[in-house]
Amino acid sequence: MSSLRRRWESVTLRWRVALAFGLVTTAVAALLSVTTWQLASGYMLDQRERGATNQAVVDARLVAENLRRTSDELPTLLVGLTGRPETSVLLRSGGRWITAGREVDVDDVPPALLAAAPARQRLEIDGLPVLAVAVPVTPDGDLFVRLAPLTELDRTLRFLSGVLVTGTVFAGLLGTLLGWWTARRALQPLSELTGAAGRMAEGDLSARLPVRREADLAPLAERFNATADALEERVRRDARFAGDVSHELRTPLTTMINAAEVLRRRRDDLPDAARRAVDLLIADVQRFHRMVEDLLEISRGIQVPEGHDLAPVDLAVVVENVPASLVPDAVVDVAEPAPLVTADRRRLDQVLANLCENAHHHAGGVVRLAVVRRDGMAAIEVDDAGPGVPVELRERVFERFTRGVRTVRDGSYTGGTGLGLALVAQHVHGIGGRVWVEDRPGGGARFVVALPEVAL
Amino acid sequence: MGTRVLLVEDDERIRQALGLALADEGYDVVETATGEEALEVVDPDLDVVLLDLMLPGIDGIEVCSTLRSRGDLPIIIATARSDTADVIAGLEAGADDYVTKPLVAGELSARIRALLRRRRPAPADDAPATPEVRLGDLVINTGREEVERDGRPLHLTHTEFRLLVELASARGDVVTREQLLQRVWGYDYFGDTRLLDVHIRRLRRKIEPDPDDPRLVLTVRGSGYRTGP
Repeated sequence: MSSLRRRWESVTLRWRVALAFGLVTTAVAALLSVTTWQLASGYMLDQRERGATNQAVVDARLVAENLRRTSDELPTLLVGLTGRPETSVLLRSGGRWITAGREVDVDDVPPALLAAAPARQRLEIDGLPVLAVAVPVTPDGDLFVRLAPLTELDRTLRFLSGVLVTGTVFAGLLGTLLGWWTARRALQPLSELTGAAGRMAEGDLSARLPVRREADLAPLAERFNATADALEERVRRDARFAGDVSHELRTPLTTMINAAEVLRRRRDDLPDAARRAVDLLIADVQRFHRMVEDLLEISRGIQVPEGHDLAPVDLAVVVENVPASLVPDAVVDVAEPAPLVTADRRRLDQVLANLCENAHHHAGGVVRLAVVRRDGMAAIEVDDAGPGVPVELRERVFERFTRGVRTVRDGSYTGGTGLGLALVAQHVHGIGGRVWVEDRPGGGARFVVALPEVAL
Repeated sequence: MGTRVLLVEDDERIRQALGLALADEGYDVVETATGEEALEVVDPDLDVVLLDLMLPGIDGIEVCSTLRSRGDLPIIIATARSDTADVIAGLEAGADDYVTKPLVAGELSARIRALLRRRRPAPADDAPATPEVRLGDLVINTGREEVERDGRPLHLTHTEFRLLVELASARGDVVTREQLLQRVWGYDYFGDTRLLDVHIRRLRRKIEPDPDDPRLVLTVRGSGYRTGP
């Protein structure tokens, strides 16, 4: 029972409303049909029985007349009384049965009916529905029985029942459809809300609900839009803040980098301890530099709508242009003809550089760089032979400051800033693409950047 | 005598640190804090100008175009961001290259060396007859670094000239953006194309009869440029 309830609850509201509509309509239609059936069939049967009885009574009177005159025209009369070929008439006269019309066995007529005459009963004889009417002809036991076929009535009733059942089923379907449609209309704002919230979750801060005039729904849309406005403003403010901070940091950073550069050139003249200190200093100044650059780039992407530097880009050129120092051991594999995409070349180059650097820092370097077509999209695949990315981390790696699980923060690690993949995701989304990580056949991770292909 | 660099930067600490680091790289650095001062101290002994675009007083763009109007002294502009209109404006005003902040002496030094490599060699009277390349109705003399149309010289900067020579010597074959950047700017290009785009635009303005309908330097969508027939 509880499993049934659980299954019911797992059905969407739209379908539940549709089913409920369907059930109610079916029930109403069924009730109507049954009533119609009862009334109509009762009436028709009644009419038929009354007709047959009257006919039998009239017939019996004729037979009685005939018997009184003891003419030998009785068989002819009986044949005349049958009227239609499916009808049979039986006459018991002086303990002897005479039949006419359709051939029947007297034993098929129930004795109870004969005993109870005048009486009528519906029977089935030789597979045919008949109405048997028994009327006494004379007080001394002569009996007239008329077996009138009910095939026509039966056919009519069967047709009626067919119409009623079909009607009921049709009404049920129509009800379900109506319910589905109504629910869809009623739930439309909810679908829009789901869509808008989904877009927002994917990072489209400009997602809004259309404001409707219906009094019930307007507050929902307005409240959602107000919340979205506030959220967007807040995200932009945070991004602006991060941008401003990074911007301000660049002035002291310039001084530090250049001063460190001078120290580095003098490294060999320094005493041992000072040399080690300079090495540490330089490594972290460089990392600081990269971090500030990445932060600036990220806040820039959020603040400025993308799209101002879009141009057709040949992915083969992009891949072949990755500096060999970034991918020393990679096999480059480009589909022919190489796909063209619309992208901001500078950002696309940065995407690739960041993916290669990521492979270098976390997985021992890129083993294969490929341009392929996948599911109707143009894609760049960056493969490494590292430990791969566990399924539960595959979305998180694209968030800011998510470091690889293997990253040991013992000072030997001077690689990533924790922003590289976040920047990749931001740039790829900015040019209308998708980026994800999957298993590389044969072990390791495969980062895939998929972009809509354009014709030359 | 070492290479003389004019460093125009208004932030004193940056100026000091950068001046120190560039001097350490072997450059003879002249430091100024404003555009006005920079225009005053410019002299023919300078080899390259490193110009911050954000300056108090006359701004970097104006300094850049003034310097360009006076001659073809190589100019590198320094901008806060690589994706702003600054870069385009600076390049349009005649800059040869740009760097983004924070400026790093090592990187700057590489850019300066690349720029100076494509400077005109001292004209020698006994220079052998140098090959001439023709492009449409242009006559390009690679040795004397001169371009003529119908006997009248067109004035190109060294960078524009090198760009034209690279394109013309491919004789109609496509030269990719990367090849052009590598050959003309001389460092491993990775990341930006505006530098090339603006220079192509500047070049077209000087050599094309109708820059909006180029016939000599044609764009090949998605890959690079080639010369017209």
